[in-house]
Amino acid sequence: MKRVLTTCTYCGVGCGFYLVSNDEGQLVGVEASREHPVAQGQLCVKGWNAFQFVQHPDRLKQPLIRRNGQLSPAFWDESMKTIAGRLKEIQRKHGNDSIAFFASAKTSNEENYLMMKLARAVFKTNNVDHCARLCHASTVVGLAQMFGSGAMTNSISCVEQADCILVIGSNTTEQHPLIGSRIVKAVRKGAKLIVADNRKIRLARLAGLHIRHRNGTDVALLNSMMNVIIREGLENKEFIADRTEKYEEFRKVVEKYPPEKGASICGVTAEEIVQAARIYAQAKNAMIVYSMGITQHTHGVDNVRSCGNLAMLTGNYGRPGVGVNPLRGQNNVQGACDMGALPNVFSGYQAVTDAAIRQKFEKAWGVEGLPDTPGLAVTTALDAAAEGKLKALYIMGENPMMSDPDQNHVRKALENLEFLAVQDIFETPTTQLAHVVLPATSWAEKDGTFTSTERRVQRIRTAIEPVGESRPDWRILCDVAMLAGYGGMKYDSPKEILDEVASVTPSYGGITFERIGQFGLQWPCPNKEHAGTPILHVGKFTRGKGVFAAVDYRPSVELPDDEYPYVLSTGRIYFHYHTGTMTRRSKLLDREERFPFVEVNENDARRLKIRDRQWVCVSTRRGEVKAQARVADVVPPGVLFMPFHFEEGAANVLTINALDPEAKIPEFKVCAAAIRSTP
Amino acid sequence: MKAYDETDLALSFQALGADYDVRVPILLSDGTRSLGRLEEGKMALAGGKLGAKPTSVFFPQMDLVFQQKGTNVRMQAPPSKPLMVVGLTAQDADCLAFLDRFFSTNFKDDLYRQKRMNSAVVVLSGKCGRDGEMLRLSSGNCDLELVFDGDRYLALAHSQTGKAMAEKMKGGLETDEISLGRLQRESKALPDDELKLLQRASSLLLDNKVPEDFWVDISNRCIACTACNLACPTCNCFDVFDWKCGDSCVNRYRLWDSCQLDGFMREASGHNPMGTEALRTRRRIHHKLAADVIRWGQMGCFLCGRCDEVCPTGIGIKAVSREMVEKYG
Repeated sequence: MKRVLTTCTYCGVGCGFYLVSNDEGQLVGVEASREHPVAQGQLCVKGWNAFQFVQHPDRLKQPLIRRNGQLSPAFWDESMKTIAGRLKEIQRKHGNDSIAFFASAKTSNEENYLMMKLARAVFKTNNVDHCARLCHASTVVGLAQMFGSGAMTNSISCVEQADCILVIGSNTTEQHPLIGSRIVKAVRKGAKLIVADNRKIRLARLAGLHIRHRNGTDVALLNSMMNVIIREGLENKEFIADRTEKYEEFRKVVEKYPPEKGASICGVTAEEIVQAARIYAQAKNAMIVYSMGITQHTHGVDNVRSCGNLAMLTGNYGRPGVGVNPLRGQNNVQGACDMGALPNVFSGYQAVTDAAIRQKFEKAWGVEGLPDTPGLAVTTALDAAAEGKLKALYIMGENPMMSDPDQNHVRKALENLEFLAVQDIFETPTTQLAHVVLPATSWAEKDGTFTSTERRVQRIRTAIEPVGESRPDWRILCDVAMLAGYGGMKYDSPKEILDEVASVTPSYGGITFERIGQFGLQWPCPNKEHAGTPILHVGKFTRGKGVFAAVDYRPSVELPDDEYPYVLSTGRIYFHYHTGTMTRRSKLLDREERFPFVEVNENDARRLKIRDRQWVCVSTRRGEVKAQARVADVVPPGVLFMPFHFEEGAANVLTINALDPEAKIPEFKVCAAAIRSTP
Repeated sequence: MKAYDETDLALSFQALGADYDVRVPILLSDGTRSLGRLEEGKMALAGGKLGAKPTSVFFPQMDLVFQQKGTNVRMQAPPSKPLMVVGLTAQDADCLAFLDRFFSTNFKDDLYRQKRMNSAVVVLSGKCGRDGEMLRLSSGNCDLELVFDGDRYLALAHSQTGKAMAEKMKGGLETDEISLGRLQRESKALPDDELKLLQRASSLLLDNKVPEDFWVDISNRCIACTACNLACPTCNCFDVFDWKCGDSCVNRYRLWDSCQLDGFMREASGHNPMGTEALRTRRRIHHKLAADVIRWGQMGCFLCGRCDEVCPTGIGIKAVSREMVEKYG
């Protein structure tokens, strides 16, 4: 038996546990870490089963190269030379920006940093991004502008110190279970819970107030709540005067949203809005928890700004039990952003447009001419590929065929590329379109760090030998860089890579493998003596004063009409994870949810003569998929909800590729759809 | 009777390693105590019950049942040496006895029995709980018991196996039984409030005095993490699955399952006798406190407290029993 302490590979909560392997080197279970500050000996169902997929027989075990249209087994040497050679060739032929790189929120900080370095230092392009574009790009843009830092302001332990928790657009017990459970406990201890979400999620059963506003009307709801707060004199005048700016401009916009107007836009009552405003504003310590319900809209950044406004208006920053807390969806989506796997910033959110910053990185990396204009995002890169402007794409651990909006558009984009390289742990619909596929190791087979939603940088540790011929992503990236002619990416271990990260990234300046130890360090941690920062914006905001944002409500891009009379919203469910590659290969998790499904309100189902568990067709202007109807009162009439985990009923065949103008995040939460029984 | 210090015990366990695959409480890297081999970490006998399901030594979370190659089926081989498990508490030993009976009655579980057969179980009791807290002495349903008096461990053999083990132990000082008598009295004087609470809750369930609404309320707080089952030393449900291991080769594994999951009892038709969260929450408690009483004549919970510790929302069996008794008497 061997037990290795590591960090969970699923959501962003960052639970620590032990992977247990037997004498034959097979993973046989998970043991909780009783001492871990977040897990405290507890895990969710995915955590308890996180070992299951690692040694699944479907693992990619050797490289594949496309020959005569078919992917066939190949040697590493040939595969790596093909990748480096083809990328260099396309760079020479079409220019630096004809290539894009997708890093991954599933891989480690070190690997994201290297992907970013490979794109910028070796191929001289800022076309590097990752799936944060699909989840919290709105947060990174919105909160960074308002406060100077685009991350969760508080720590997970703060949840139980709140007197009021506003959960808006987060199904917390399912998607961040060990944060959701703290909300459950806080409510038991007397905290007031407001849930603003039109699905009847578990937390709604425990909420004092459940507001079921129409999808995509969050700005109107929050503006109306703030209208009430100002009208009733419940705002924190001292905080506004001392710590914020642009209040008057903001107030004028909010004035236009009396609760009656908000109620009419949101489809709720004015009384509910008034009640929510009072409960939130009158609490001593009020916390906002939000997630994809806020961010995945064409007005996602405005939604985020509204959350930020509400907390500033009431002075809920910089102490335990308060703040604006975006819950990051993936194990290392926070870290992938921190590492600069984004088209506009280097690690630590240092802008590529800043000449002094570029100079710093040029010196550190021993290169010249780092590109100075922001590159393509995940979403816009696929648009560029579809238009024939982007020629090559190098993807590490992402599956855009399943995760990005409008699958037919994504397929067209990927098929249009001259060269596509993908490294992953399983075959996916994306690897099926690649020219070269490399087998990567999973998180259980390598060392490194993940950064959780509360900015906690934690270790992952090698628990078992690599499966087949798989190699860690960081080693693969180093070899590609070397073959492409760059000598500045030679490392013996991820520890060395993190040391380099610390040397060029102020917020990670004091973070090393040694200092992370068993339980991690929360950034900002600028130097080796710094103990980390559990709560941001204490005393003053990172940028100095907080900036109020005056935002007006804008409707979603595609609203229901006669042809497509339903609103379709997509998301995750408890037992599965993202594109299903791991959870659908875990016995218990897959058994719990075996089929693609669509939630339909019972009144709609009755009218449409659709029974529970009956197979139905859901269609939008993009396509049609089959799914099992799940008839209940979870969604309100007129709304459909589909998870996006199932290849055989991919919700992203249906979603719309409409983007927030600033964050370039797609509108996964609202598009117009139709539903009918299958013949 | 002999009393041993930790150095004696480490040497003794090493010596017994000639006959057994010895597992003792060790300190993992973050301070968690767990069962492991002596060479895998610093021995940490004191500190109370271990966090993980202690019966997992004999019934691991995932276990190979057999391998089929062509027409040839090879069952999992028995362990090369019998297991010797040190560090169960008296409650854990009760749980193990419960599990032994379950896996040997009617359905005989070969995989469990081949690990359990010839194994040796050593209970730790006395003043070796967390911060020196007194742990109940066993009822004798183990092979050897090490009773900590605050200074040394008094070795009590409860079986022939235990006697043979005691003879092979190293070092130790001969001691009288005065100290043991004192510890036995202290053990008997330990409060039994929790047991009474559990018995009261059991009666309420057997008398059908707990309405469905109660279970709806509890289930609203359940996030279906399944930890209550995975940590419980008497929970024994598993599912099986097959993985290909090459051309015409299949490995069949079993894996801990949980009655808190919708798929646990769902039938192929889609019908599910435990189709609501409330029914599943009720089942977990009802099974331990009522169904087991009817079937085995004793409750299936021995108050180890693990489900209460691992439950993220505070609805372990003790907490639910307390709430039940507060509401319905």
